Amino acid sequence: MKIPYNIHTIWLLMVVLTLSTYALGKLGYGGIVVVFFLLLTAVLKGGLIIRDFMELKEVSLLWRVIMYGWLWTVCIAIAITYMISI
Amino acid sequence: MTTETFDTEVKLLPGDLAIWFFIFMELLVFGIFFIAYAVMRVQNIEMFNHYQLTLNRELGAANTLLLITSSYFVVRAVHAIKLNKVKQCIYWLYAALGGGLGFLVLKSIEYADKFSEGISLSTNTFYMFYLSLTMFHFLHVILGMVILFAVAIKAQRGAYSAHDHIGVETGASYWHMVDLVWIVLFPLVYIMR
Repeated sequence: MKIPYNIHTIWLLMVVLTLSTYALGKLGYGGIVVVFFLLLTAVLKGGLIIRDFMELKEVSLLWRVIMYGWLWTVCIAIAITYMISI
Repeated sequence: MTTETFDTEVKLLPGDLAIWFFIFMELLVFGIFFIAYAVMRVQNIEMFNHYQLTLNRELGAANTLLLITSSYFVVRAVHAIKLNKVKQCIYWLYAALGGGLGFLVLKSIEYADKFSEGISLSTNTFYMFYLSLTMFHFLHVILGMVILFAVAIKAQRGAYSAHDHIGVETGASYWHMVDLVWIVLFPLVYIMR
């Protein structure tokens, strides 16, 4: 079955990802693998907001680099600090 | 700046260009704040891990769902006005405002709980970051709601149509930024350990 890609399914996907983030916290999971998963989840959700909610998927490369660049830079910097500390 | 382009062309940023410079600056500030939190955590791992467990993850997750859903409602408002469905646009904008209001209520409950325990910015480094980061975001939610409310009022006065809806896109872009920031803030402050 082909799952439609539209703002409704995007919203649903973000709800599921949020619940998975909450579940990991509730179950008390930690460690670098969990941190990577949580950051990738944040990147995926953030990417969906930038691409489909803000409707930046067809704007010039400069604006997309700024927005996706912010998201990736922040998440990679956070990942590095956790790699140092775990 | 117009939003009317052909599909084959590179599209312009939705809404007013000025709001995007504002958004970029806001993201820069929040980004520095997030990295500062992560760096300070390296120097105080036990403290951060211990006090993180005192946060209300249920309210944090509920607030994430509220903001995501509110952002979705704003997308619906933009789509509606592009089809010249002004009434639907107004309804979706007020629905989004409802989501924002829900966020503020839950966050206020969270703060009331912490303040009743005597927790403040000076309690320790973790709470300093937790309170300042989330309160800074809280103020942005209020500003976003003021913008959306102004857009909704203008929409009620017939200021927007399928051919002229830059104001709706401008408000929507700012509101999505508020959501985007929380998407990183929630796992960072409430969950990651």
